[in-house]
Amino acid sequence: MSTQTAAVRTGTALREAVATARRSWTDTATAGGAAFALAAVAPFVLGGLIAEDTLASGAYLALAATGLGLCVGLGGVPSLAQGAFVGTGAFVAAHVLRHTQLPAELCALIGAVAAAALGTAAGFAVRSLDSVRVAVGTWLLTWLVALGLGALPWLSGGGQGLVVPTRRLFGLNPTPLVHYELAVILTGLCALALLALRRGPFGLDLAAAAQHRGAAAALGVPMERLRVGAFAASAFVGGLAGGLAVQLEIVADPTAYGPLLSFELLVAVLVGGAAAALGPGVGVIVLGLIALAARALGALAGVSASRFQPMLEALLLLAVLTTGGNAIVPGAIRAVRRFRRVPARPAARAVMPAPKRREHLRAEGLVKRFGPVSAVDGVSFELHPGTVTALIGRNGSGKTTVLRLLSGTLPADAGAVRLGQHELAGLTPAERVHAGLVRTLQSRRAFFSELTVLEHALVGANRTRRYGGAVRTVVSTPLHRAENRLAETRAVAALETVGLAADADRQAGELTGSGRERLMIAAALATNPAVLLIDEASAGAAPEELELLKTIFIDLKNQGLAVLLVEHNLGLVRAVTDQVLELELGRVVPHKPNSRL
Amino acid sequence: MSLAVQVVFTGLSAGAVYGLIAIGHSLIYRLTGIVHFALGDLVGLGAFVTLLVAAGTQPLTQETVSGGRMALGILAGLAVCVVVGAGGYFAVVQPYVGRSAIGWVAGTLALGFAIRAVLDAAFSRPAYVFPDPIPFRRIGNDGLVTILGAQIHVRAFAVIGVALLTAGIASWVLQRTSFGRSLRAIAADAEGAAMVGVRVERARALAFGLAGGIAALAVVVAAPGAPFETGSGALLGLKGLVAAVLVRFGGLWSAFAAGLALGVFEAAIGTGLLGHVSGLASYRELIPLLVAIVLLAVRPLRAREVVE
Repeated sequence: MSTQTAAVRTGTALREAVATARRSWTDTATAGGAAFALAAVAPFVLGGLIAEDTLASGAYLALAATGLGLCVGLGGVPSLAQGAFVGTGAFVAAHVLRHTQLPAELCALIGAVAAAALGTAAGFAVRSLDSVRVAVGTWLLTWLVALGLGALPWLSGGGQGLVVPTRRLFGLNPTPLVHYELAVILTGLCALALLALRRGPFGLDLAAAAQHRGAAAALGVPMERLRVGAFAASAFVGGLAGGLAVQLEIVADPTAYGPLLSFELLVAVLVGGAAAALGPGVGVIVLGLIALAARALGALAGVSASRFQPMLEALLLLAVLTTGGNAIVPGAIRAVRRFRRVPARPAARAVMPAPKRREHLRAEGLVKRFGPVSAVDGVSFELHPGTVTALIGRNGSGKTTVLRLLSGTLPADAGAVRLGQHELAGLTPAERVHAGLVRTLQSRRAFFSELTVLEHALVGANRTRRYGGAVRTVVSTPLHRAENRLAETRAVAALETVGLAADADRQAGELTGSGRERLMIAAALATNPAVLLIDEASAGAAPEELELLKTIFIDLKNQGLAVLLVEHNLGLVRAVTDQVLELELGRVVPHKPNSRL
Repeated sequence: MSLAVQVVFTGLSAGAVYGLIAIGHSLIYRLTGIVHFALGDLVGLGAFVTLLVAAGTQPLTQETVSGGRMALGILAGLAVCVVVGAGGYFAVVQPYVGRSAIGWVAGTLALGFAIRAVLDAAFSRPAYVFPDPIPFRRIGNDGLVTILGAQIHVRAFAVIGVALLTAGIASWVLQRTSFGRSLRAIAADAEGAAMVGVRVERARALAFGLAGGIAALAVVVAAPGAPFETGSGALLGLKGLVAAVLVRFGGLWSAFAAGLALGVFEAAIGTGLLGHVSGLASYRELIPLLVAIVLLAVRPLRAREVVE
């Protein structure tokens, strides 16, 4: 009986998966399939034109570049260490091949795991750094591996390199053709995974974090974990490419994995299109054409082609950069879209939204000192479900500091914050978002300009997911798909609350200042909070926008949220609040209802 | 004792070059908030242009060239550095400062590799021996003097002296001239500086060129000590970057001191002064890199962290 229901359920899930796949089959998918098929038959067509082993090592380069696309394209992280990860994979695989009798595929996998370990360490080291330090750190790592291979003969086999024994690959004689087809298949799989990740919660969170770290942090996006994951996955793919390519080359060459390789991989990713799944692969094809051009130029000038290749690559990258970064694949997609109308997104199906949380928040004796100055000096208050509390006071009275202490971006020197039964002390901002406390930022630039309005709200809704991990996204489990619908319902509901549901498919950058403010309230609301902290929503709002804000706050109150507003607009405060806290020099003072700010 | 003296002088003369490049990295970081990945190659370009003008690309037939040609070569090298550095700033840095990190990272890297490719095409031999700008051979015992039992190249004194002088001039320019005041104003607050009439972009572009040029000057003095390759500039740029990272892109003199310390450390490890652990010498370049990576990960840079 139970097996029967399980079978029925599996059947339904499968049918649904097929339907989803059919719905999401687009021109891009057709183009991708065609590209894959073309790549697979390339050696038979190009026959005598390009040697098979050149094609095969190019295909491994494409695999490594596609892996890098995860970091650079999805994460917007300038990683310059991919060459080091490829080299790690290559040399670890080479050593394992030389010293054990393990099968070839397993040796490559061990290399990939070693590279992933290095990638995890690197990602952990740079997990919370700004892009400048990420670039410098990964650049130093690339040099460290390159100089290390040069300086340590026991590791690299010295100037001769390490000779790698050849073994059968998946039961086949490891000819360059077999390597090539394997590399093409792996690159295709990697591109598919990249595509799934980009559309899923993982990619959305990474994109949000890349566009505005602060706003993403306020919404509880676990940026550090995402970045470590992106580095580890990038390094794994790079290491796999290295571990397989070294078996194609037969010799592990210690000079082949230096800064130039890292640079070439970055060029491939940026020229082809960092965020597009097929971009890195296309970029590598362009690099291959450059290599051909360099050889021709070299033959003309009578010098080695290797002298021209980096220059042509650099010039190509400079050209792409100076023409506004129009990479090949995104450019082509845009050109095609101009002729074809993009079908409208089907409206989200109504699903019962999850029950709202109702908790009350109690802050007791909060203290924060900056040197001798007490910015917050013993502040206590309670926020009740279904009420709006205003936090007012002059500039510098400590309002924003109180918000930071509540949200966890600043550690308090003393005092406690309880949300329902939870003690929040020591929790990170992301953990507090999970517990049900979220805030918006004051800055009007604190939004993700390149995401759509709906995607903004989805970044918030992602915090409520349990099955949104990278692996579940890639294999698209039934639970994951069911959760997609729930997250979208939640996001759309949040947009409706702030009056932006009609703008769901617009770019956030097209919204007015007040629209952005409301958008970030919606994103915060989509995290399903019990307590919502809003920093100056009314700054610069026009009169009709103020009216809209009033109805929004009253709606939030009716939904049972506990809302804390930091506000300068006393009209708005009087219209919606149940409680007013006035701060003066970091202390709560009795509020005089007729006072002016 | 004599070994220690030897190590200190060898290290200081290598470190003086690192120090000048570290000053360049530090200055550029504080002016624009970026790290210039082509700085080392720019230094290499300056050095090779100097060689080209002073002695041509043929193997040297004499160890020294005339003072006039050398001076002309140095001027030409400096001029090329300023033009390429400033042009590079406008082409690959300025459009991306504060907007897209990947843009300027890729741009400066591309500039560096393009410079090296040009050098590779023009200078096809694996390594070049530079002529001495001053006939050191005629001083002391064939260019060597004995101090506390150690044989020291006279050239080492010249390198250290030239580097100290250059750093001193740079410090004076930063502190005392109106150009230096503009640079300090930009480093403190670029927007504010622009508002009070500082020509931010022009000053930054000039600094991008000069940062490579003044380091090339030290390289020209130091290079005759060993064969110089087209890729040597990039390696020097890396050492300078490591030194700058060690002092968190700090002030001019601390960057210089970090360069000197790095040079002495490498010399000490390389000659086995610090214990005779076998094989330790192979790690002389790796240890500072590893330390720099760790420091980068655990300590904040000078610029204020963006909290929200």
